[in-house]
Amino acid sequence: MNSVSIRIAGANGDGVESSGSLMIRVAAKNGLHVFGYRGYQSIIRGGHVWYQVRIADERLNSHGEGIDILIALNQDAIKNQKSHLNDKAVVIFDPSKVKPEGIDASKYRLVGVPLLDIAIEVSGDPIMRNVVAIGSALKFVGIDLNAFNEVIKATFGRKGDKVVQSNIKAAEKGYNYNGVETVYKIKSDGKERYTMDGNTALSIGAYAAGCKFYSAYPMTPASSILHWFAAHENKGVMPKQTEDEIAAINMAIGASAAGVRSMCGTSGGGFSLMVEALGLAGILETPLVVVESQRTGPSTGLPTKTEQADLLFVMHASQGEFPRIVVAPRSTEESFDIAAEAFNLADRYQCPVIILMDLYLSEHVRSMERLNVEGVTIDRGKVVTEQKEEGRFKRYLITDDGVSPRAFPGTKGLEFIAPSDEHNEYGDLVSDAFAGLDESVEVRIQMNAKRMRKIDTMLERESVFVPHVDIEGEQYLVTFGSTTQPAIEAVELLKAKGHNFGLISFNYLMPLDAEKTAKILQGKKLINVEGNSTGQLAKVIRMATGINIERSILKSDGEAFTGELIANEAMRLIK
Amino acid sequence: MSDSNQTAVTKAKQNFASGIKPIWCPGCGDFGVHAGIVKALQEIGVEKEKVAIVSGIGCSSSMPHPFSTYGVHSLHGRLLPVASGMKLANDDLTVIGTGGDGDGYGIGVGHLIHTARRNIDITYIVMNNEIYGLTTGQTSPTSLMGAKTKSTPFGSIENPENPVGIAISAGATYVARAFSGDPMHMATLIKNGILHKGFSIIDVFSPCVTFNNLNTYDWFRSRVYKLDQAGHDPSDKAKAMEKSFEAEANNWEKIPIGLFYKEEKPTYSSMDMTLQKGALINQPMPTKQQLGEIMEEYK
Repeated sequence: MNSVSIRIAGANGDGVESSGSLMIRVAAKNGLHVFGYRGYQSIIRGGHVWYQVRIADERLNSHGEGIDILIALNQDAIKNQKSHLNDKAVVIFDPSKVKPEGIDASKYRLVGVPLLDIAIEVSGDPIMRNVVAIGSALKFVGIDLNAFNEVIKATFGRKGDKVVQSNIKAAEKGYNYNGVETVYKIKSDGKERYTMDGNTALSIGAYAAGCKFYSAYPMTPASSILHWFAAHENKGVMPKQTEDEIAAINMAIGASAAGVRSMCGTSGGGFSLMVEALGLAGILETPLVVVESQRTGPSTGLPTKTEQADLLFVMHASQGEFPRIVVAPRSTEESFDIAAEAFNLADRYQCPVIILMDLYLSEHVRSMERLNVEGVTIDRGKVVTEQKEEGRFKRYLITDDGVSPRAFPGTKGLEFIAPSDEHNEYGDLVSDAFAGLDESVEVRIQMNAKRMRKIDTMLERESVFVPHVDIEGEQYLVTFGSTTQPAIEAVELLKAKGHNFGLISFNYLMPLDAEKTAKILQGKKLINVEGNSTGQLAKVIRMATGINIERSILKSDGEAFTGELIANEAMRLIK
Repeated sequence: MSDSNQTAVTKAKQNFASGIKPIWCPGCGDFGVHAGIVKALQEIGVEKEKVAIVSGIGCSSSMPHPFSTYGVHSLHGRLLPVASGMKLANDDLTVIGTGGDGDGYGIGVGHLIHTARRNIDITYIVMNNEIYGLTTGQTSPTSLMGAKTKSTPFGSIENPENPVGIAISAGATYVARAFSGDPMHMATLIKNGILHKGFSIIDVFSPCVTFNNLNTYDWFRSRVYKLDQAGHDPSDKAKAMEKSFEAEANNWEKIPIGLFYKEEKPTYSSMDMTLQKGALINQPMPTKQQLGEIMEEYK
């Protein structure tokens, strides 16, 4: 695989994010594979932000460790990014604004381009300097400007020809500037690709599954799901920004109880507020999809940085015992698949499904093939629309598979009260005045067993609750969720160096088919790779199978894993 | 809401009774509220399958169980978000929230403000007994200054909340106060609250005969007077706010009940882009064309 990483760095407000997005779309349109990730801070102006755009001739699984082309928009960019430069890296900067201090001109290629002067000359707008720099960067990676011009027309066409033309002219000037030439050539296969981040893929999956209600309180890195639903309100969905996460989850439960496929989303802090209502969905047996996109904790932690430290939390949140499904998508595309399937699982087993994302997966943008949006199937589970038996409807009928018939309000003859207290088959309470009576004790035993039986049914009927052996090897990296992607790259790097590593990854983590999981893991040399400091996946595996993984690669500094980093750590462990 | 094809005979047959007996102590004010809701629903003539009664946690929150309607007995303080979710999902439902003062004015008061300002078309009935009953008698947000309870044995030193004033200032478009000891008056206020398009709240003085020996039936009966008989204009917001402070200002010697404030305003559903096309539950699934259009946004 040939790849090159372009990093544009500057301050908040410099247009770093839009520049990164632009380069990603240009590369994808030009038949290249692309993977973008940004580093940013919780401030609106100033600070130091960067966007790394990695371009390759094959599918990418990580944004990459080093920088091949740095666009330094200010002096901080030189200071903070110079240690990340790969050998012979190109540094594009405006000599009137930035001094390449501490960068050895004999080891790197310093390219001064009067970005600001050109921007003023072609448009009168200083922000156009980014476009000049992008023009230069595109020349360095050998992408001609046709794709760029198309993307600009699609993006700014509404703003009129003048804006389009000044963008095109700015890029041309940067592209043709003296000393700018093609040094990295990545081969295009001519196939135009789609680009999006994990939250977008998840939102599209939910939409395709018929999710019509999404409630949330703004919180990074989940907010963009709310923005997606808000932007698509004209397509028959209802986004609801609530006063807090407690309202968000309770509204979603109310909407779901009324029969509408519903979802709420947040990060760890907001999920902490949702915990009580998670149990409400559990005992009401109301289907519910909850997105928890992890960021670095505890408490406010590092709000704009990633982590995988909420796994055990979401698995065990809320008092008492009730069935739930916890699933961590391993890639952007899988965020779509899993979101779509989560609604079927929630409806089929009438329980909460928690989709465990993280900032890295929620926010990194990748090129991809078209998602199969038309292929999403919908299964609403045991929904009944008419009363077949005499007497009151038994909403919580004791059944062999643990799943009871469900009716939506408005259905004649099937009226019932769904209670948060323990209840009998009709939904009548066995708490308060009846607690401890022999009959109530028996009802409690039966009802609790009925609910918990749904776990056996899930394991029996669904094939998803096992890890995946993605790549065979003599020893294995073991991952869950988003870390799986850089681990794929790590395995490729390790194999190239003669270390026969394989990869075992988890997406569905709860319930876990303990027997099958043990069979897959038994007798293998394993190294768990996780974005937390305590090895939570290893604990889950040990709880389920008794298998103790003795070597681990753990990271909780807020930065995302890369293939190189994992490969280097793995080599250190096997020395 | 009422079905014109429905005959008076079938209306009379609907007793909305599930057969489940309420758990309240004999003499509890909540019995009167239950009777008031039944009367209001009967007079409106809504079918029981079109009604959802949503409660929180507390003595009064067991309200849905005697009803043969749909309902959710939810979490402490969270009935308004659950009720809002149900109403937003199915605008054809008549959604009634029932809870107590601890539930709605204590742990859940934040939701009261936001549900009121959204003007979601639900009716919220708060059985206000000025005490925590189910937890056996602690001070509540509406307990009077000096009230001696299990958690304030030397007398409460916190000012009581003014739920009527909070609701008006938050944007509720129907704000009333009733007394469970005057069931006919209360039933009319509940009925008009249900018929009102928008967020309506009826704060009901519903005496706790077990744990509150201060705010008793007799205590209320000798103090309440009816706003409509005193010439109050419920369209006057400033006057309504003034009236909400009156009881505390005169040291609870005279307590106004009745309709404080009423305003016709667009409801949340009437303004929502999606709900203007019909109830959310009736909205069609995305078409292949819509899904295709969405994918093209990312090319």
